[in-house]
Amino acid sequence: MTSLLQTLSSIRHRPGRTLLTAIGTALGIATIVALLAVGAGAQRSAGQFFHLGPADFGLFQKDAADPTTSVLPTSMIPKLERLPGVASATPFVLIVEAVPHNPGVVVFGATPHNFQVDRMVFSAGHMYTNNHEAVIGNGTARQMHVGVGDTLTVKHHKLRIVGIYHIGVAYEDTGAFIPLPVAQSITGRQDEATTIPVLLKVGARPKQVKHEIERHFSGLTVLTDSDESLRLGANGDLVSKAALVIAVLALVIGGIGVMNTELMAVIERRSEFALLSAVGWSGRQIAWRVLVEGVVTTVIGAAIGLLLGVIGAHYLVKILGASEFVSPHITAWALGRALLIGVLIGVLGGLYPAWRAAHVSPARVLAQH
Amino acid sequence: MAGARVVAEHVSRRYGRALVLDDVSLEIAAGELVALSGRSGSGKTTLLQLLGSLDAPTSGTIRVDDIEVQRLTSPAQFRRDVVGFVFQLHYLLPSLSAQQNIELPLVAAHVGRSERAQRAQALLEEVGLGDRARALPSDLSGGERQRVAVARALAGRPRLILADEPTGALDSSAAARVFKLLADVRDNHGTTVVVASHDQSLAKHTDRALHIVDGRLVEPAEADEPARVIA
Repeated sequence: MTSLLQTLSSIRHRPGRTLLTAIGTALGIATIVALLAVGAGAQRSAGQFFHLGPADFGLFQKDAADPTTSVLPTSMIPKLERLPGVASATPFVLIVEAVPHNPGVVVFGATPHNFQVDRMVFSAGHMYTNNHEAVIGNGTARQMHVGVGDTLTVKHHKLRIVGIYHIGVAYEDTGAFIPLPVAQSITGRQDEATTIPVLLKVGARPKQVKHEIERHFSGLTVLTDSDESLRLGANGDLVSKAALVIAVLALVIGGIGVMNTELMAVIERRSEFALLSAVGWSGRQIAWRVLVEGVVTTVIGAAIGLLLGVIGAHYLVKILGASEFVSPHITAWALGRALLIGVLIGVLGGLYPAWRAAHVSPARVLAQH
Repeated sequence: MAGARVVAEHVSRRYGRALVLDDVSLEIAAGELVALSGRSGSGKTTLLQLLGSLDAPTSGTIRVDDIEVQRLTSPAQFRRDVVGFVFQLHYLLPSLSAQQNIELPLVAAHVGRSERAQRAQALLEEVGLGDRARALPSDLSGGERQRVAVARALAGRPRLILADEPTGALDSSAAARVFKLLADVRDNHGTTVVVASHDQSLAKHTDRALHIVDGRLVEPAEADEPARVIA
């Protein structure tokens, strides 16, 4: 193992190149951190969306291309409620992109009283009492600049807003609730629901109840947690795969960037490596020195990138106009992964330059000078 | 440490079509101080590089003591343990202090930090730069840099010093001091020293002079005439 201090002094002696290399890596790492954080935030929000608040289970149609395209018969609800361990089940119809000029507002069709909507805290007005009324989340009210007494249009159906609620779940607070029959009419699916959230009795064993539900109702997917929610639909897969693709791209692009910079450095410092070879350094020792330099530089860049990424994630959701639905979710694992990618970029990007440095011909280089 | 005996037999080196060294044979005794003179491009540098394993001959054999240089499996180790190089340019790493530059061969040899520092300081004293250990090359004069380069060549306690135009970039007083240093190395350590230079007057201060013309060793009197092989 060659002297690390001597290697570091070489980095210190070239602050310009070190800084440029570090910035290149930092930008790559910042992109990864920001996208992973936004991706994780989107996953978490999506998890809440499909899980629907306090429900223990969310039932969806099996193999639905997307959870919002799930179709379940409401006739199964009485049978569900008779199963041991099930306290309550209620139909929900989910309608997306139904409010003009506000495509982000998700409309929920639900009965006026069930374990989900009973959690609503009204800051103005009250729950709807007939099929011409609707209630909106406080986020929606803020976003659309509307209040009690105004009109909510859902796919050409005009409903009077009679209440503004807060639940504490991002998608519901930036959404709206309308009577179930109205939602079924809008979607053209009478006696059907998109999902059926299920509340368990106190003391019931979720695994056992899940098994019972699946045994009684084939063609169902029973989601028990947020992660499982994501596995249901293509959207969840898309978010995960996009994060993976971005990480791989960052690895490749960052690696090429670091390799290019390191290669330039090796070419510029050929006489240094030739000298080291002449005084007895082996090819492996020279290669190690170049690799360590590359890794140290990229780790510095990665550290800067982590900071930029955390800040950038918050700006990214604002720029995308998604701050109402998604808050970046920064986990130690995401930061660790970004740092690991930084080290990998340093190693992969430094391999070829290290090989070149190890094979500098001292006879040729020193003779040229 | 005793110096190394160097024997070259029928050594040639060809780069493409150019024959840079042509059937060179020589023998240098252990502890001998030898001047290798000749004009620029005559093949002095190539011969030193072959003796020091920086390059391999196209044909012929080179032995340093019992080591067949062209058959080395680890030339780096040979250069670390047996040879010390001094070049016309000092090639000190600009980011390292004088002491750290001297330590470079010792770093390669995995010598511990405190012993490295101790040996480097002793060498700095030997070359008259005991108080410049922490100085960067940019803070040293040309002569001082070359003395540090000589100290670096001595760090691995080599048996053979190969100096290629070590005074070529120095003024006459600095050059004299560096050359005396190399002579002292031979006198004090018994190291074999080969100094290549285009300056034939250098030969007066050495045990023996070898003259090279167009890649062939010639008699001293014929150095400026067409080559006549002497060995």
